[in-house]
Amino acid sequence: MKYRHSLGLILALILVHSASGEPSVSVSDAWIREAPPGVSAMAGYMELRNNTSRPQVLVAAGSSGFESVMIHRTIVKDGMAAMMHMSQVELKPKASLTFAPGGYHLMLMGPKRALRASEPVIVNLEFEGGLVLPITFEIRK
Amino acid sequence: MAARRDLKFRRTITTVTVAAILAGIWLTGIYLEHDSRAALLPSQVITVFSELRPLTAFTLTDHKNLAFDLASLNGKWSFLFFGYTHCPDVCPTTLAVLASVRASLAGSAVGAEDIQFVFVSVDPNRDTAGKLRQYVNYFDPALLGVTGDNAQIANLAGQLSAVYQVMITPGTDNYPVYHTPAVFLIDPQSRYHALFTPPLDAEAISRSFKIVRELQARNWP
Repeated sequence: MKYRHSLGLILALILVHSASGEPSVSVSDAWIREAPPGVSAMAGYMELRNNTSRPQVLVAAGSSGFESVMIHRTIVKDGMAAMMHMSQVELKPKASLTFAPGGYHLMLMGPKRALRASEPVIVNLEFEGGLVLPITFEIRK
Repeated sequence: MAARRDLKFRRTITTVTVAAILAGIWLTGIYLEHDSRAALLPSQVITVFSELRPLTAFTLTDHKNLAFDLASLNGKWSFLFFGYTHCPDVCPTTLAVLASVRASLAGSAVGAEDIQFVFVSVDPNRDTAGKLRQYVNYFDPALLGVTGDNAQIANLAGQLSAVYQVMITPGTDNYPVYHTPAVFLIDPQSRYHALFTPPLDAEAISRSFKIVRELQARNWP
């Protein structure tokens, strides 16, 4: 049992690191906008890069620092901005996708503690196929 | 003697005529270069209206529990944004941009004394005056947070064709609000003057606003 667990971990590590030693998906400039007082819904942004030659699909995000984390996209429909819940987001082969204000974002609800600028928080990004990337998000004003 | 005076007179006339022609050419040049206000302003940032419609009476209440009405717009340029405090993406992004616009204008030669930034909450159910005060102060203590009852909000929003929809769901305090992401510019004569549409950029807004304000001061066109 213990061995099988380790084997799974090794396999996961192999999956994460491709032949070149590069992760399948790399994440940069990950940040969460600090919440104004009395507000419990925050948005997280980042730059995702698919380093492989096949699509990578982000299927979920989670963090022990929040009650819930969802993948959202702000869309403008009939002249109104609305947030759409995304069950998954596909990253095209060898392409980048940016989560930015007014577009894709992580919707983080109910922070377990007050998050202030410069304090980082870890969010796990889960991809189809079992890849989980723990990403450090910086809190920015 | 008379002939000489006549010649002098004619010379003067010629000089005046030449000057007028030159001035005409110069003005035509200016006109061609800036045939309308639109030519001076990037259309993807701002829409300036050719017909400036004065707003009519409305009543809202600000975050200090003071009345915010038609008279509050008088003599100031007002940037209006409609949103709600539980909004995680568009509203904080826009208010941060507006705070930055204010800082930039306050630091410029003309200053920001004649400008006000107003966050209109379309979600009075959750956004009380106290909540609004905390919220706007966080971005910039100079920002105003205003709201009212549904009919009062609809009155002002309707005058600007600012669309929104509050998706109140019974039994939960966690409901979405759809709202226009645009920023509305009202001039010191309380007229709906221009509209900024996303993506909103503080520098582009400041730059366009300075031109609009300058043109208005010169009564152009």
